[in-house]
Amino acid sequence: MIERIKLLFAEAVDVKTALLSNGEASIEIAYLSSLCKEDKINNCIMVPFTKAEIPFSRHLETNPEYEQVEDPAKWQDMLLRGYVLIQSHSIIYSFLASDVISSDGSLTQVESAIQGPQLALSEDLNKSLNLIRSMYPSPELCVEQYTVGYESRTPLYILFDQRHVDSMVLDNVRSKLTSINADIVHAAGELEKLLVGKRLHLFPTVLITERPDRISRSIGKGKVVVLIKGSMFALILPATFFEFMHAIEDNYEAFWMTRFLIFLRFASIVLTITLPALYIAVVSYNPELFRVQLAFSIAASRSAVPYPSFIEVFIMLFMIETLIEASIRLPRYIGSTATTVGGLILGQAAQQAGLVSSIMIIVTSVVAISNFVIPINSMSFAIRFLKYPLIGAAIFFGLSGIAVGVFLYIVYLCNLRSFGKPYFRLHGKLNPAEGDIGGADIK
Amino acid sequence: MRPIAPIILKLALALLLLVPVGGCGFKDIDKRFFVVGTGIDLSGNEEKPYRLTIQLAIPSPKIEPGTSKFQYETIDAISIAEGLRMLKAYVDKELDFGHCRIFIIGESLARKNITSVLDWMVRRRDIQLVANMAIGKPDAASVLKIKPISEQYPGNALLLSFGADGTESSYNYAESLSGFSRRLTEKGLDPALAIVKGDKNKGYIINEIALMDKQKIKLVLSPDEAQMFNQLASRFTKSSMHGIYRHDGIVVAINQLHSRFRIENQDAQHLIKVNIRMKTVIEESSSSLMEKDLKPVEAKLEKSYEAEATKLLAKIQKANVDPLGFGLRYLAMNPGEGSWDNWQRIYPDASFKVNVRLIIEGTGLIW
Repeated sequence: MIERIKLLFAEAVDVKTALLSNGEASIEIAYLSSLCKEDKINNCIMVPFTKAEIPFSRHLETNPEYEQVEDPAKWQDMLLRGYVLIQSHSIIYSFLASDVISSDGSLTQVESAIQGPQLALSEDLNKSLNLIRSMYPSPELCVEQYTVGYESRTPLYILFDQRHVDSMVLDNVRSKLTSINADIVHAAGELEKLLVGKRLHLFPTVLITERPDRISRSIGKGKVVVLIKGSMFALILPATFFEFMHAIEDNYEAFWMTRFLIFLRFASIVLTITLPALYIAVVSYNPELFRVQLAFSIAASRSAVPYPSFIEVFIMLFMIETLIEASIRLPRYIGSTATTVGGLILGQAAQQAGLVSSIMIIVTSVVAISNFVIPINSMSFAIRFLKYPLIGAAIFFGLSGIAVGVFLYIVYLCNLRSFGKPYFRLHGKLNPAEGDIGGADIK
Repeated sequence: MRPIAPIILKLALALLLLVPVGGCGFKDIDKRFFVVGTGIDLSGNEEKPYRLTIQLAIPSPKIEPGTSKFQYETIDAISIAEGLRMLKAYVDKELDFGHCRIFIIGESLARKNITSVLDWMVRRRDIQLVANMAIGKPDAASVLKIKPISEQYPGNALLLSFGADGTESSYNYAESLSGFSRRLTEKGLDPALAIVKGDKNKGYIINEIALMDKQKIKLVLSPDEAQMFNQLASRFTKSSMHGIYRHDGIVVAINQLHSRFRIENQDAQHLIKVNIRMKTVIEESSSSLMEKDLKPVEAKLEKSYEAEATKLLAKIQKANVDPLGFGLRYLAMNPGEGSWDNWQRIYPDASFKVNVRLIIEGTGLIW
């Protein structure tokens, strides 16, 4: 039986098989360790078998929890649902020992979805694997184990579907994991930096997520997932830019609304990147771009401001960035106070004191709010930086500077590769059997 | 790890290349003086023939009717460009024509020669080609100095009168700077401008159209003619039409109008055929027309419209201007050398035939 199961399943560290013998009889057992409670297996199989107070075959025959399985085609399915298969005297019995993580798992905090799975990955590798296995019950799922860090010896699992995965990407990941040169690795973000290897990069090229449903979808698309012990986050690679703009809820909600939401996200990253720069360029170089009314009201509200437009922008952006940073670092109970004080009082007061114009307050809040629309946190952080180079270009070159700056960003994005795969490609609908990128070598 | 310095150097070089394309310099919006209206007149002085009047907006955060504030500056100069340079010495902020949407040319200047004025406008970078052009009567300065009570911010009232945002008058002829300069240079298509008059210093009256050749005014159309001209030129906004049917006055509102023309050559005699189709609704009628046959009414109105249109076309022809572009059409249909000379021979003798198809769609809501 064991040979057959090994053939059925892709190579995975959690496929456990054993040949036990207690002198009188010998049995073969097989199970998926991530899906089963090991102590239940111990109590109900190992202990009675080794003690052998009554013959174990009698045990199997009398206890209704051990069910006879006649059809070998069911093996795979049963194992994936958390059964233990026992072969005794060439009769196969099944025994349910599944460990279902439901209420005791931690909830999603960074990527929350209103209607969707609420459980996040666990810091324990086996619990995470349990969640993923139960969401992606396929025998093709490979699980390989690695360790990184000379001192920390942090265990890692890499998961992929062996039918869909692109072998080039997989080799790339394997060789990079074995060549990682670091003493201590704790967080997924840290691992991402070590994997990517570039010190200076503007955009994250590996998707960091805590959602098992996103992970199982990605595995189905042929991506490689890296789980790290001690972190609730997993890495999905290779990633594309557009996946960072895709909230997992887009798969669960009404079609047109989610399309609109995706459009909204792209519109808001354009706004959050360009708006401060556009403010400078339009106010100081090309005020004819405004409608007359707006031009006059901006001119009037700016007439109290003693500094040129870019100083105004820097004052406000400094304020909003410190506010965001403060509200992340502060304990949750004080956090809301910081936002109230900063957002309401400072903004209003700065405008009344004639330090900034009233339009600038609007610009700043649009920039801050639209930045938070991006569903993946690492991308949101990356985007937060992008406005500053553009502001520099706008100060010296006006609108043409912004245009060239945006163009440079796009060129850079097109140049980026995520584990050898183009980063800025649109994901078209590919044949699901080939996967998103697994079919890349099929011409 | 790649060295950073060359990348930054490359980026800096690329950005340095941008310096020449930066255009206008860094100047904050509150350090600019927005010109919202420009008037150009003849001063009567031989040495400094042009009188330049600019209306400068004073921005205020409150936008309420009647609160618009502005300042005027006037100067006489040899040329407009020089006058403007001189004017800079009179004001404390940088003059900006970016929001100047109205250019008014004084009638006396328009009757003399406007080519040099237009040359200045088209060349200047900050004057927008979408700006509207008009002729001020009796002169541009007096039109600019009118302060309409309803005006909400500087220069708004005139702008609304011309653009599609505000009133849609069938007597007005809004011409943009780009359209006007095109018509000044195009063979066989002559320019036309609306004439703006002051209404007792409270508002504007715009109901006449001046037809020009390539230099100056040739013919001024009365309000009725102006409306018909707009209809013939397909610059249609909803208008009304007056007619008489069985001794009763009748007014129809024209909701839709299409006008097209064809130039036909019949026995060496050129005939310009103008076809007009319009859909109308009765707006006023002293007798009830409900559930009656409207065909005779239509026929009657068609006839009177045809007669008036032919009269107007002949009048335009007699002034030897071509604002409807008959010449341009002829050149397009008869390419080749000498075609333009031919047309100049043909046009004064060509005859017109106007064919109107008027459909009364209804008799209004109740009757």
